[in-house]
Amino acid sequence: MALKALDIYKLLPKKNCKECGVPTCLTFAMKLASGKAELDLCPYLDETARSVLGSSTRPPIRKVKVGVGERSFTIGDETVFYRHEKTFYHQPGIVFSITDEMDDGSIRAVVGRVRDEKLTRVGADLMINGIAVEHTAADPAAFGRAVAVIEEIADLPEVLITTDPVALEAALGQCGGFRPLIASATVENYVAFAALAKKFGCPLAVSAPDLSAMKDLVTKVIAAGVENLVLDIVPASPGAFIATSSLVRQQSLARSVPELGYPVLYTTATSSSPDAAIVAGILKYAGVIVTAPLSKAETYAALTLRQNIYTDPQKPIQMNPGLYRIGSPGMDAPVLMTVNFSLTYFTLQGYLEGTRLPCFMLVVDTEGQSVLTAVAAGKLNETLVRDSLKKFDVESQVSHKKIIIPGYASPLSGAIEDATGWKVLVGPRDAAEIGEFLEKEWKA
Amino acid sequence: MTDTTSSEWEGAIGTVTLGATAGEGGTRTVSYRIGGDQGLPYTGAFRPGEHQPLIVFEICDDPSIWSPLVKNAVGDQVNDPGDWAATVEKTYRADMVRLVLTSTRRRGFEDFPSINRTVEQVLSSTGLPLSIEGPSEPAIESEVFQRCGEAGQGERLLLGTAEATRYRSVAAAALTYHHAMIAQSPIDINLAKQLNILLREVGVPADQIVIDPYTGALGYGFEYSYSAMERIRFAALKGDSDLAMPMICAAGDTLNVKEIRDAPADEQDQMAIRWEVYSSLAAAIAGAAVLCVRHPGSVPVLRQALDALWVSRQEVKADGT
Ligand code: B12
Ligand code: SF4
Repeated sequence: MALKALDIYKLLPKKNCKECGVPTCLTFAMKLASGKAELDLCPYLDETARSVLGSSTRPPIRKVKVGVGERSFTIGDETVFYRHEKTFYHQPGIVFSITDEMDDGSIRAVVGRVRDEKLTRVGADLMINGIAVEHTAADPAAFGRAVAVIEEIADLPEVLITTDPVALEAALGQCGGFRPLIASATVENYVAFAALAKKFGCPLAVSAPDLSAMKDLVTKVIAAGVENLVLDIVPASPGAFIATSSLVRQQSLARSVPELGYPVLYTTATSSSPDAAIVAGILKYAGVIVTAPLSKAETYAALTLRQNIYTDPQKPIQMNPGLYRIGSPGMDAPVLMTVNFSLTYFTLQGYLEGTRLPCFMLVVDTEGQSVLTAVAAGKLNETLVRDSLKKFDVESQVSHKKIIIPGYASPLSGAIEDATGWKVLVGPRDAAEIGEFLEKEWKA
Repeated sequence: MTDTTSSEWEGAIGTVTLGATAGEGGTRTVSYRIGGDQGLPYTGAFRPGEHQPLIVFEICDDPSIWSPLVKNAVGDQVNDPGDWAATVEKTYRADMVRLVLTSTRRRGFEDFPSINRTVEQVLSSTGLPLSIEGPSEPAIESEVFQRCGEAGQGERLLLGTAEATRYRSVAAAALTYHHAMIAQSPIDINLAKQLNILLREVGVPADQIVIDPYTGALGYGFEYSYSAMERIRFAALKGDSDLAMPMICAAGDTLNVKEIRDAPADEQDQMAIRWEVYSSLAAAIAGAAVLCVRHPGSVPVLRQALDALWVSRQEVKADGT
């Protein structure tokens, strides 16, 4: 269980020497309790304190980084079981798998997709994260060759899937410096695998048939000097994945089994439904999901679901309120009012760019609520519109006094005219129709 | 170390029966008891084979406002709710039909006898249990629900949708003709509870209520719905009987999202299917018992995925893990 600050304090040297960077041992204890300080900052801990505190003050789920550079991704370091309790922080890396028996052209095709394909939603570029290479060929050297093909055309995080130390060494010779995730150490190969992971500084997945065997193997691998671990839980089906992964999350958060305090790797090949596997992995705590290359539609749906689940439930993604420009609008350009919910902003902006008519977007502060939600909650009202017009000095930017409001805000049109003295034009409800609307209705 | 997730809850979700077979006083070839769960889809507290969510296919009686993608995929049958319902059963192989009375959404609707005809036609064309989605216009809903209730007497329909501001007409039809009903609230656990209390006060028993927490489309509010579902389910398991009803997921706006509309023509169907399937699956994992889709291609994909998820529960149990 997590220790309270006072329990931790009892174990500290009580010198108040400030060497840990805070004024007193008590403050240090409070920082440790909330996971905001590293134990090693205090040089005076005795053995007992070190061993008791060591396991209870580290983050319940270790943070692990896969790959290097721009496309590297970080997993683990989560604090809750349900997203509504706080939020999920590190979305699972989704990687497409290839095998070392595929010809170079086919490998390049998959790697090129992962390198280039992106879905832009709500101002963010959503992408598949990397490539998993599976060693299925008879010749161990084939593994290294496949990795070399990837390295030639892309700097992507990799997952090296094999149980053969000879093949692994060949692959690491090509990409070891780029911190690929090695998958997986088993009870048979862990001595050699741990040595290689240590040599190259790579994260290492650990695979065992059940969680109690997993716990034993993790202990051994840690003793061999590797700390950045991932649990390869090899479930028989997506449902079994949910059951096991939930259990790992629950026990690691409770710190009841510290050996399970690592992110989870889900290799979905065993699933009879790729869709079920991807959705289960995204929702229920996978750190890395290895899947055969998904179709475009599956990829888009998966990336969107992942973005949804990993947004903070307490605060919607918001824009700064203000007057935004599409193109270089002149004094006679239209002014369109909208809310500061990012999804709304980017949806409208996308369609406005499509019209090629320069214009202004007046983004008002509804605390990140959509048009309909803000109208229903009373957040979007005439006072807000009046104050925003003033605050962002819209009057000096245009030679007219006309404002276009969203169709869903039509009940407010009269009140806005009265409060602002501006003429209100009620736009369409659906932003997709904005081009047609401007063409027909807009005159400065 | 124990290999099952521990839980503090003792509550269970109540059950609701949908459809009535001859033995139960109706004419359906099958009926379902939904709900009854004693845990979340990962606690291991399952009886094998139970609680797999139902796949409901939505049809309508006036396709003018229906997605063009569905109209293309379905063909001429969109103009004949009876034929369409028969195809839902025989070809798409959904578990249930939901008839959305889009005709009543037209301004000035007053052809009330058509409601009886349509409902009877659908009931005689399929043996699957039927859900009916009525108007959202308070001025006509009383008459419409009354007619639906009557036309489906004995069939244990699922009538919808009640909201906090208009629940009496649906409730009256459900009570008079012993149908189940849908109670919808806008993505808020407290509002869901409040509406169920209102329904309790007008005498609707819990075993006639299905909660609709409102499903925003994937990418357009789905995350709120997902968490609302988890919270409702969790509250119910912890013993809140006003939330202990099975849930329905019907992401009606899905086929209109930008990602589908703006996709190249030859990719639209696949995009639509994945959008429906991914939100339905996520809702199922959050605890939804009834999943509604509109694209015919979604049914087999969703079926395969649910089978893959639900079979596992048996494995997990069989292992004793
Ligand atoms: C997600 C959601 C929420 C989230 C909040 C999300 C957010 N950040 O705003 C939560 C769960 C918090 C929420 C809460 C509530 N919600 Co709400 N919510 C939704 C939901 C499902 C999706 C909203 C969304 O993201 N839409 C997508 C964005 C992009 O849409 P948009 O902002 O309207 O923008 C579009 C257009 O308006 C247009 N547009 C935008 N700007 C402009 C500008 C111009 C000039 C033009 C021409 C067009 C244009 O372009 C966009 C694309 O077409 C909707 C259902 C729905 N289908 O809309 C219900 C919905 C809006 N909510 C509703 C309600 C009632 C509420 C609550 C009041 C419930 C309550 N009593 O607590 C609360 C209010 C919050 C509060 N109390 O503070 C109702 C509103 C009913 C009504 N018709 O008035 C809805 C319709 C659900 C329903 N059918 O019951 N909600
Ligand atoms: S370094 Fe150790 S002894 Fe010194 S103040 Fe910090 S906790 Fe106390």
